[in-house]
Amino acid sequence: MSVGKAAVKVVRLGRISYRSALEVQQQHIKQHMDSCSTSPNTLLLCEHEPVYTIGIRQAPYPPEEEQRLKALGADFFRTNRGGLITFHGPGQLVCYPILNLACFKKSVRWYVCELERTVIKMCSTFGIEASTSPDTGVWVGNHKICAIGIHCGRYITSHGLALNCNTDMSWFDNIVPCGIVGKGVTSLSRELGRDVPPEEAIPKLLEAFTEQFNCTLTYN
Amino acid sequence: MAMCTILRCASVSLTSSLPRLSNRNAVTPGRLLARTCYKRTLSTTTRFCAALKFTDKHEWVRVDSGVATVGISNFAQEALGDVVYCGLPEVGTKLAQSDEFGALESVKAASELYCPLTGEVTDVNDALADNPGLVNKSCYKDGWLIKMTVSVPEELDGLMDEAAYERYIKSIED
Repeated sequence: MSVGKAAVKVVRLGRISYRSALEVQQQHIKQHMDSCSTSPNTLLLCEHEPVYTIGIRQAPYPPEEEQRLKALGADFFRTNRGGLITFHGPGQLVCYPILNLACFKKSVRWYVCELERTVIKMCSTFGIEASTSPDTGVWVGNHKICAIGIHCGRYITSHGLALNCNTDMSWFDNIVPCGIVGKGVTSLSRELGRDVPPEEAIPKLLEAFTEQFNCTLTYN
Repeated sequence: MAMCTILRCASVSLTSSLPRLSNRNAVTPGRLLARTCYKRTLSTTTRFCAALKFTDKHEWVRVDSGVATVGISNFAQEALGDVVYCGLPEVGTKLAQSDEFGALESVKAASELYCPLTGEVTDVNDALADNPGLVNKSCYKDGWLIKMTVSVPEELDGLMDEAAYERYIKSIED
């Protein structure tokens, strides 16, 4: 039974390579596994250089596909998260909550739902009506504005969500995003018809997060 | 003649005769004997424990004739949501208790699986490749994940029985 609100530390990593961010995530996961008392819940915020990543379902993305995408000038990573292929790049706010679900609710299904609700809540503060669908993620109509893909081991979460702010959307033309044929992608900038950088989205995302997860945020 | 063999085997060694008895069909007295032996065996040795045992990570294991079948509990499958992919090990993989042996994907989340016992993988449920939803629909039966040998039978004694697992779930649902 959780008494009082869980505390979550916000760590802003800025523009960081995908590989480096993976290492930072691992360090924070290890902190959770090593600690005997309070689990150090952390929210990592960053932006990546252009990179395509895939999850544990590797079969649809053989080495030829990897080569094809790398030839376009992006990096490529095979990860241990759920979800199919997605793109990360400048202008996209990437958020990696490294949480111990024991501080919240020990259900991955619940956690993903709360992430979706957080982003929907954030979108509404921009005046954007977003929603969920049978495909995990946050949608504006038939266009995905935020992708979600996570990993959970011993109740410690990693990976997270990727919100398109003023991303160069042409990178998504090279893939079937999240393996969903026939649906598109969008961004805060596209929906609002003006430039919305990740910096503008960060405080709104954090506010929505504290409300939805009923937690307190601390900063470095 | 066959009947004498069955009875002699039963009186000499219950455990070693059990698989033979259970494989015979049609001989009614033999079948009755098998059932009686089976019950007696359960109470005297864990080697033929056919009851479910549980880990604190919500995997179950059932040992039958030295082969352990492993799956996830109803609590676990509900907490995951609809399973869309099962990442399982190859046959022949050697695992220690608590080793990560695979992952299940649901709602774009990959959740690790932890091995309940030490042993070697002898079988993987191929039905899950085309029908991963079996893990949700039939978590204790058709949705089994792997079968493995039992290198350290004593590890079973450290796992929760069904009643203890029910209490465990109640305690974490607070």
